[in-house]
Amino acid sequence: MTAFILRRLWQMLPTLLGVILLTFFLFNFVGGDPAYLLAGKISSPEQIANIRTQLGIDQPVYVQLWIFIKQVMSADFGVSWSTNEQVSQIIATRIGPSLTVLVPILIIETVLSVALALGVAYVRGSLTDRSIMIVCTIAMSVSLLVYIIVGQYALAYKLGWFPVQGWGESFSENLLRFSALPILLGVAVGIAPNTRLYRTFFLDEINQDYVRTARAKGLSENTVMLKHVLRNALIPIITNLMIYLPGLLIGHFLIERFFSIPGIGREVILAVERSDFPVIKAITIYVAIATMFANLLADVLYKLVDPRVQLK
Amino acid sequence: MTLLQTDNTMTRHDTLLSVRNLRVSFRLDKHTLFDALKGISFEVAREQTVALVGESGSGKSVSSLAVMGLLPKDNASVSPDSEILFAGCDLLRLDPAAMRQMRGREISMIFQDPMTSLNPLFSVGSQIAEVLRLHKGMNRSEASRRAIALLDEVGISDPGQRATSYPHQLSGGQQQRVMIAMAIACEPKLLIADEPTTALDVTIQKQIIELVANLRRKHGMAMLWISHDLAVVGEIADRVVVMRSGEVRENGSTQDIFENPQDAYTRALLLCHPPLDARPRRLAVIDDYVDGTGPSAENRINVQRGSSPNDTPLLEVTGLCKNFEFREGLFGKRVLRAVKDVSFTLHRGKTLGLVGESGSGKSTVGLTIMRLHQATAGEIRFEGKNLLAMSPREQMPFKRRIQIIFQNPYASLNPRFTVGDILMEPMRIHRIGANDAEREKLSLTLLDRVGMPALTFRKYPHEFSGGQRQRIAIARALSMQPDIVICDESVSALDVSVQAQVLNLLQDLQDEFKMSYLFISHDLAVVKYISDRVMVMNQGEVVEVADSDEIYRSPQHPYTQNLLHSIPRGWQHPQ
Amino acid sequence: MTNPATYHPSPGLWVLAWRRLIADRIAVISMIVVAAFLLLTAGSMSGLIAANWNDEVAIGYAKPGFVAEPKVASRNTAAQVGPVVAAENPPGRVIDPLATELAELRASLGQKVGSGGTAPAAGVPPVGLDLGDIKVIDPIAKEFADALAEAQAEGRKERVDTLPFGADKWGHDVILKTIKGSETSILVGLAAALVATVIGTLLGAIAGYYGGWIDDFFNWFYNIFTAIPYLLLILAIAAVLNQKGVTTIVLILGLTGWTGIFRLVRAEYLKHRSREYVQAADAIGASNFRRMFVHIFPNVSHVSLVQLSVHAVGFIKSEVILSFLGFGVPVDKVSWGSMLGEAQNELILGYWWQLAAATLAMAVLVTAFSMFTDALRDALDPKIK
Repeated sequence: MTAFILRRLWQMLPTLLGVILLTFFLFNFVGGDPAYLLAGKISSPEQIANIRTQLGIDQPVYVQLWIFIKQVMSADFGVSWSTNEQVSQIIATRIGPSLTVLVPILIIETVLSVALALGVAYVRGSLTDRSIMIVCTIAMSVSLLVYIIVGQYALAYKLGWFPVQGWGESFSENLLRFSALPILLGVAVGIAPNTRLYRTFFLDEINQDYVRTARAKGLSENTVMLKHVLRNALIPIITNLMIYLPGLLIGHFLIERFFSIPGIGREVILAVERSDFPVIKAITIYVAIATMFANLLADVLYKLVDPRVQLK
Repeated sequence: MTLLQTDNTMTRHDTLLSVRNLRVSFRLDKHTLFDALKGISFEVAREQTVALVGESGSGKSVSSLAVMGLLPKDNASVSPDSEILFAGCDLLRLDPAAMRQMRGREISMIFQDPMTSLNPLFSVGSQIAEVLRLHKGMNRSEASRRAIALLDEVGISDPGQRATSYPHQLSGGQQQRVMIAMAIACEPKLLIADEPTTALDVTIQKQIIELVANLRRKHGMAMLWISHDLAVVGEIADRVVVMRSGEVRENGSTQDIFENPQDAYTRALLLCHPPLDARPRRLAVIDDYVDGTGPSAENRINVQRGSSPNDTPLLEVTGLCKNFEFREGLFGKRVLRAVKDVSFTLHRGKTLGLVGESGSGKSTVGLTIMRLHQATAGEIRFEGKNLLAMSPREQMPFKRRIQIIFQNPYASLNPRFTVGDILMEPMRIHRIGANDAEREKLSLTLLDRVGMPALTFRKYPHEFSGGQRQRIAIARALSMQPDIVICDESVSALDVSVQAQVLNLLQDLQDEFKMSYLFISHDLAVVKYISDRVMVMNQGEVVEVADSDEIYRSPQHPYTQNLLHSIPRGWQHPQ
Repeated sequence: MTNPATYHPSPGLWVLAWRRLIADRIAVISMIVVAAFLLLTAGSMSGLIAANWNDEVAIGYAKPGFVAEPKVASRNTAAQVGPVVAAENPPGRVIDPLATELAELRASLGQKVGSGGTAPAAGVPPVGLDLGDIKVIDPIAKEFADALAEAQAEGRKERVDTLPFGADKWGHDVILKTIKGSETSILVGLAAALVATVIGTLLGAIAGYYGGWIDDFFNWFYNIFTAIPYLLLILAIAAVLNQKGVTTIVLILGLTGWTGIFRLVRAEYLKHRSREYVQAADAIGASNFRRMFVHIFPNVSHVSLVQLSVHAVGFIKSEVILSFLGFGVPVDKVSWGSMLGEAQNELILGYWWQLAAATLAMAVLVTAFSMFTDALRDALDPKIK
């Protein structure tokens, strides 16, 4: 196990280096000269040159790259171009609100869609199964923007069941008052695609030989589904969840934006709108690292659930 | 008659299972119904072993699933006038809950592939315990103690330790023993075994057959044994039901079926498989019996095979090694030595048989000669030139001269190519024939030679049966006029009657074109029939080489002796 | 060569798949729907339909409906006079987009030329007259005249106050706007899916077929792209590119979206390269290129085809979000995303129709497309072979 984790950490290094190179390339070459962006439309050549020196982009490329790597290593990305706040400070304060919304969405959505998927897999091929699948397809076809716009308008603005937006200081108020509608909408958006996906996982398992053996033992259909099929289908479900976890951090940015939740996702949007490169760069690198660790965690969990997996 | 069979004089002949007029059809799509069983009837008496024998599509497995009530609910339907009486109660009319009480307790089943039939996520002990807790009402600790005892009974060493193992940690034979332990856990009255040894090596097959037969006698169970292999059935069954295309062709005692078969199809089946004690010029095929009375006298004449001092060497392999490497640990790697220092000579116009069990490295040898795998060490000299030292360009002219016919006829033909494309592509690459018109002509000649109609040319592989596809694969190999053909389990996936036809074809082609064959197979009877010399491999090494009659008459190496001893012999007349 | 009597062209696997597809009723219906949308897109691209979506044919936020109410009818009459006496109309009902500019222009011109100092609020002066006076002095006179004429033509148009699907803030017909929006969204979705599929298939084929260090290299590449969450990558690229346009967004989506296809195609190639038919092709001396593209590709192309379809749906959805955020298509283009962006504010005011139209159009297309994709997957399923 330790050897496996060490090997995986070792294998992360080239990927991390690649992410750094990609980010560096993107922000220093694709986008043109950042100095012009920062200086604005009207500025004298002296001002530009001044900013170039400040940013260090008058240096040779390898020096700039080295500076960037040092920034990554020391987790110090300088200050935001638009607010002058420390980038590390920005990220540290935005994680909490994001998780307050994200974790409940993830848990509720997963439990509900696993239950629903197991149910429709149980009655596979029936009218119920087909109707639910068609409803899921239609539900997936409506843009998540519409869910949020209409949900916020109808449930908060018109009916007044929830606050339209806002964020407070106390965790319980944030979770129970301000996050309730965002969580509800997040679950509503995620449940259809997940149910469809998990249903295919269950159907894959139902056709396996060991399910036939379980039936040949005389087990009831409930035991077959809840014990044998569910346990096996959990493997792809867990893998799937872990891999998409860091993506969700960003994925719910629309919810954060609409409900003015000061999270990572909203911060990304703001930074993109303001061309605030240090913030985008930092978030990109951190989320990439988080993704790599989530993948490692997925592999370890995989080992715990599936005895066949050899962690060498 | 073997010790495995029931002594008829001692058996009480009251019926346990009675299948009457069983009709099962499958809905393939909206407009097509496929009649898998067309009204079959047979009976199983208490403590008796009845075998259902037939080729693929005969409906033998569907019959067993119907008895278990495990037919797929969504597309299978059983005709309302069918009956399956088990101890006087009609299983087709039981409600689902009562049927579940039958399964695992009164009737239990073992399947063909033990690896996939066991749940990979539960320890084997808990999977056995599950059935005990369900039907015997045992608590957790009682059930797991009993599971260990059962594992001991089915011959698993260190059962206490093994009960905590997961299926993937066991060998195929051990997995099948676990399945058997699970099946006998509740002392059922009827045990259904659906091809339980087909996925296993011949030596393991022998152990499993003996185990099941002894357990059957000890527990006084009746058994329904489903198999395609008459030789196995002849050893274990008391009665044999021969099936074909959803119908029963013949039903009789094992002795009658083997010694005095009434049905033409039964007779053909018995003779299609190459016998160990004779080598007729041609093997019998179904048509011989369906049309007339059997193969012509001249085809029954035994032929002599073997090496002679006049043979000219064509391919000389010396010190061939092949290692496969796997990454392991932080920087480590594991090396699997699949082929270890193998040397042999293949002579012009002769057949060298290569036998071994799974993992013996026999197929790797063939693929390495083709350079489909890169050899780790050794030399392969073809007409004196080392193939392994050649660049791909230098090898091109030699590539044409060594061809291969694979095991799986469904995988070896590109499904997106027409048969014409499949046959003409090699000719285009090797510039055989001046233009496509000429190549088409050549292809049609080849198709005719392997017994396929000219219409085949424009069709796609999916329209043909396994045997027909294998003929097309042979035609493709022939299109390059090779000197050597490597047959890598080329007839193993085929039904026994089709296998005989393909073996006859291969023999005819060798006589006509004087090709050399390297014939790789796990089936000792087939190898003995077709080969001049036989090479036995075990765990990557050659253990014995000799003329084929010699090796079967007096095997020298203990491994070879064990292998030969394990071949099922079929029905032996009581002395 | 072949005797015609014995010539039986036999159906290949593609033909069989097609037959399975058209035997499926849902597949046929969804194909028709998707085809209808594609026809609309083609028509809108070629200017046959919805070319005039930008015309302000109705009053701002005209309600959806077919029959005008009496009260509205009177306003309608007012609207007809409107352009002539624009200033008399209540503000917000009929807006002459050039009125203020016109006045300013006229005022400034009046100072320079010294003729007709007052901006004619009621009635437009004869163009020829002004033209004659100004032409000598001011070079912008021509444009001014054109603008006047245009304003006149524009102003004379009847402005209705109900449309089948209502109108937006400027009085654009929502139906035409939705059609034009479909064009952008569908084009972006299909083009980006094509880019992603080509990249993913090509890289996947090379990595899966060759294996070894080539595979390692492409996997490294794949790991980098998947380590950064997809949306974040898109937003980061959108941030640096800072130039909007259909090509830009197609490239952003296509260049970041190939990873899923790469993974699937690579797995297929890994599986197929050790299949016996490929080994047989090796045995007959077929080159690597031939094995990769002539032998294996037709057998894995169904994966790419299904993925093309899956990604087209996904990219249509992504484009909507990007355009909504303002990182997508430029402002002069309309897409479902930009419509939703406008609709967000309109909804608070109770103007729900633009939201409904864009949502409905997208939902119908995406549902049909998804169902078609499912049917396509089933029809191409190699398990049936």
